[in-house]
Amino acid sequence: MAKLRAFTMPKWGIEMTEGVVAEWMVEEGKPFRKGDLIALIETDKITNEVQAEYDGMFPRLIAVTGETYPVGELIAVLAEPGDAPDPAEVDAFVAGFRPANASTASRSGKGAAPSDAKAPAAPSPQSSAPASSGGARIPADANISPVARSFAEEHGVAIAGIVGSGRGGRITYQDVLQASRPPAPAGGSDPVDITPIGNALGEIFASPLAKRLAAQHGVDLSAVSGTGPRGRICKADVLARVAPAAPEASSPAAVALHFEPPAAGTSEVVKMSPMRKAIARALSHSKSTIPHFYLRSRVRIDGILGLRAQAKAATGEAPSVNDYVVRACALALARHPDVNVQVHGDEIHRFARADIAVAVATDKGLITPIVRGADHLSVAAISREIKLLAEKARQGRLSPEEFQGGSFSVSNLGMFGIDQFDAIINPPQGAILAVGAGTRQPIEIGHALAFATIAELSLSCDHRAIDGAVGAQFMQTLKQLIEEPALLIG
Amino acid sequence: MQLSRDALLRAYRQMKTIRAFEDRLHDEIQTGEIAGFTHLYAGQEACAVGVCEHLGPKDYIVSTHRGHGHCIAKGCDVIGMMKEIYGSREGLCKGRGGSMHIADVEVGMLGANGIVGAGAPLAVGAGITAKGNGTVSIAFSGDGACNQGTTFEAMNLAVVLKLPVIFVFENNHYSEHTGVAYAVGAESMAARAAAFGMRAEMADGIDFFAVHDAMGELIDYCKAGNGPAAIELDTERFFGHFEGDPQRYRGPGELDRIRAERDCLALFRRKVTEAGLLEHGDIDAVDEEVMALIDRAVAEAKAAERPGAEHVVEDVYISY
Amino acid sequence: MATKMIRDVIVETIDAEMARDPDVIMLGEDIVGGNGSAGGPEAIGGIWSTSTGLWAKYGPDRVIDTPISESAIIGAAAGASLSGKRAIAEIMFADFIGVCLDQIWNQVAKFRYMFGGKSRCPVTIRMIYGAGFNAAAQHSQAIHGMVTAMPGLKVVMPATPADAKGLLTAAIRDDDPVIFLEHKALYATKGDVPEGEYVLPFGHARQVTQGDDVTILATGLMVSFAEAAARNLAEEGIGCDLIDLRTTSPLDEEAILDSVERTGRLLIVDESPPRCGLATDLAALVASKAFASLRAPVEMVTGPHSPIPFARELEAAWLPSRDKIEAAALRLMSYRG
Repeated sequence: MAKLRAFTMPKWGIEMTEGVVAEWMVEEGKPFRKGDLIALIETDKITNEVQAEYDGMFPRLIAVTGETYPVGELIAVLAEPGDAPDPAEVDAFVAGFRPANASTASRSGKGAAPSDAKAPAAPSPQSSAPASSGGARIPADANISPVARSFAEEHGVAIAGIVGSGRGGRITYQDVLQASRPPAPAGGSDPVDITPIGNALGEIFASPLAKRLAAQHGVDLSAVSGTGPRGRICKADVLARVAPAAPEASSPAAVALHFEPPAAGTSEVVKMSPMRKAIARALSHSKSTIPHFYLRSRVRIDGILGLRAQAKAATGEAPSVNDYVVRACALALARHPDVNVQVHGDEIHRFARADIAVAVATDKGLITPIVRGADHLSVAAISREIKLLAEKARQGRLSPEEFQGGSFSVSNLGMFGIDQFDAIINPPQGAILAVGAGTRQPIEIGHALAFATIAELSLSCDHRAIDGAVGAQFMQTLKQLIEEPALLIG
Repeated sequence: MQLSRDALLRAYRQMKTIRAFEDRLHDEIQTGEIAGFTHLYAGQEACAVGVCEHLGPKDYIVSTHRGHGHCIAKGCDVIGMMKEIYGSREGLCKGRGGSMHIADVEVGMLGANGIVGAGAPLAVGAGITAKGNGTVSIAFSGDGACNQGTTFEAMNLAVVLKLPVIFVFENNHYSEHTGVAYAVGAESMAARAAAFGMRAEMADGIDFFAVHDAMGELIDYCKAGNGPAAIELDTERFFGHFEGDPQRYRGPGELDRIRAERDCLALFRRKVTEAGLLEHGDIDAVDEEVMALIDRAVAEAKAAERPGAEHVVEDVYISY
Repeated sequence: MATKMIRDVIVETIDAEMARDPDVIMLGEDIVGGNGSAGGPEAIGGIWSTSTGLWAKYGPDRVIDTPISESAIIGAAAGASLSGKRAIAEIMFADFIGVCLDQIWNQVAKFRYMFGGKSRCPVTIRMIYGAGFNAAAQHSQAIHGMVTAMPGLKVVMPATPADAKGLLTAAIRDDDPVIFLEHKALYATKGDVPEGEYVLPFGHARQVTQGDDVTILATGLMVSFAEAAARNLAEEGIGCDLIDLRTTSPLDEEAILDSVERTGRLLIVDESPPRCGLATDLAALVASKAFASLRAPVEMVTGPHSPIPFARELEAAWLPSRDKIEAAALRLMSYRG
């Protein structure tokens, strides 16, 4: 059996990654002596003459002249000068050849680098309470900072599962705080576009904010001169160029009124706060991806008003109309579990409990704290809970589990005199009820004309999970519960 | 080489200025008014002046931490120098360099240097420029710097590139507190330089004329394109390594002896008067003028504008 | 516009500047190669091929091969620049800064300041840095942290051929001393390069990708790793603002803070050990000037506190990678503030 060896693309110098066989200087099968020129190999710097290091013969030449091969790849098979190896043997050798590991100088960072432990997988969106060990004491020799220890003990946070980020695996306050909070909501958003504005080569020397403003206002940066550091174009330079609104041309036949166009339209630029951005992002996504449909119903709220009056007379205070509506929704959801859902991609998550989000307007924006288990709370309890949550919301003190999750929202703009409106679903919830103002309206009772206090309800449903008939049945039940509020008790 | 009367007076004036400047500083430093480290050149004047009298503003010198002498010899403003040593904003370096970093690039003085041996490579760089100008570059080193790796690198590079650089080794016998007999392993600095492949000479650093003549020859040699040269000058420093140095490394009576027997100003005076080139009166007149200049320099320096905190971050860059 | 490799851009830029300004000279080891040998000059044209053909064009008075004497190289470049030249010095491996540190740190960086603003030292020191070729501990380091900390120096780290051209042109023309850091693993990177004269000012970062969720800061080779990570993250709905700093001194603070104020999440990728480096410098900047915007702690993806090892697996584990960057970004996104 012939002794075959591999002749591979050599590596000359630290940077070489590939080469081209410019010419084979010997023929297949012809023996050569040590020192003979056997090949010319080109790299991007020079053409090298390859001399035989010992006597030999190439039973097979593999590399095609002019083609590029990576360093370490098999370009010919070498044998002893007198050998006559079987072609099958040579085939087997070629087939069995494995190049040595190429250099890990990877430019894109792909492949060669071993991955780190993966980041924790996106947790399920259940609004479950954080892990609690029920106040177990932490051993005295645990590797944990004093503040972390006292926080963990006070809040009953189990530290067994925590990987400490401090030196030597020491558990820090930050680690314990993170462990004490419910998991972050699932990402799983659609891909985003990350093309930067103004990334052309020979780019304009302008600050990032200036570029964004220019794009927003249609200012041509190449015409702007910069007054920022090192002559960079800055925000002020761009805003100075924002064109004032053109005045309307007056028609010649019009009376010669002297019409002053509005003062130069430099807008006041208010940067979106993180909260505003979050709202913008969530609702844009909702409106554009969720197939909304709307079920409208007019309900008589005289019954509720009557109950309110009674409560007021009895205790001096009364729940709001909305509190009754929330209770009614909770009971209706309990009876129509197909509406008490969250939608996640291909999955519909049905809930046994009614966790209803109530819209609260704060000066930072709309926030929706959640009344958990509203189907088990009396109207009075719901009322107290909503008051508490609203206060916290206005002070910015809501914790994540107090406003994330839930399957249903109630939004009431009645106090602003709105008759009717349609709300945008808060994903991942399946539906949202918009409640308008109660107004006195003429109705037919028996065959006579009478007045009743009517509120217009609009239920927005996610058609991916809730069909028209399902939603309609829910609305029927809701209407009944609202119009006969005695049913709300219990 | 026979110097004219004017040239002789000028040479003496330069040497006397250095001596008076350093002696006066020695006294003023005792008052505590001058901050930081100062390294006085008194005793070595003939070396600086013997070299620099050949040079113009397009010839370059790089100095050591003991740089006042080279600075004055190269034509820096004496009052500006005194102000700088006092740390005034009106000083040559706006009070930011001080004694160890005193410089005036415009007259070809590329700085005193706080790092021993750092000057030699810089002088080689200036030699690249000098070659194009037809001028020369001088690297002043002491017997301490001559052992630093940078000095060796610089000498080799100057030879390899055949640059008009002259390595002037001022052997004042002490590198800081250690004697040259211990610190320099070779037979002499000149011999070591010669082994690098350059022409190397030795001369008596106390005799202005010996220095001046030897340098004249070497400068011509370099300008003719023969590559670098070196010269070892045997000299003395009258004060300590730095002001405040107790000088315990000196032998008994050594300081008195060298002041009596190895004073280059006294030697110059004797030579020129004995040869009838100058009168004592001429030299005395120069002495008086120089003393007055130094008095004025100190007075002005003490009264000059102080720098403020707002000047700390100035001139870190030309533009940032 | 033409597609070129960074190493070709370097030669072309030096050539253009040498043609434009007769005071520009270049010094370094083997930048010509072959002097004093049977092969004769130009046997190499620079070990990184970044000076090929320059000696033939400009001669030995302007393209100067030196012995192995880094202190003398930097010192000579400095002395020449102080006396009217505009010198480019090449240090073959940035790790060799050790043997010429004084000339850079105590001399070049400080002349203008110490000499009362009256001197000018327009030297450009090109240093070749970075890991990825298994060259091990003494030939693979990045030194930008060290030199960025030195007042008086400017520090430039191009990541693309176009940037290399604009920044090197700016560096050579800059009257202040500039440390120009070239990553050895980026030399063969190709990219579009504008034709003609093209200067990129310092202190102006490049927006590589734009997103609202995470700010990523990177330099040199790390930019391409981060870009690969950003593209993957975008597929998962996480938009990254990837900023290529281009120069660490001066630093484009505005771009960094502007981005963090929008995203609230900072990820820094630095090809260095973790202590007292660029990553910690930027993290401190943001913590002090954009604290109120932060929604999560700063993530720093760096090498470990060790020298750079030799074996392929070890070096790969030492370096930041696309995977490590993605994992850090996911940690940022899942932080519960």
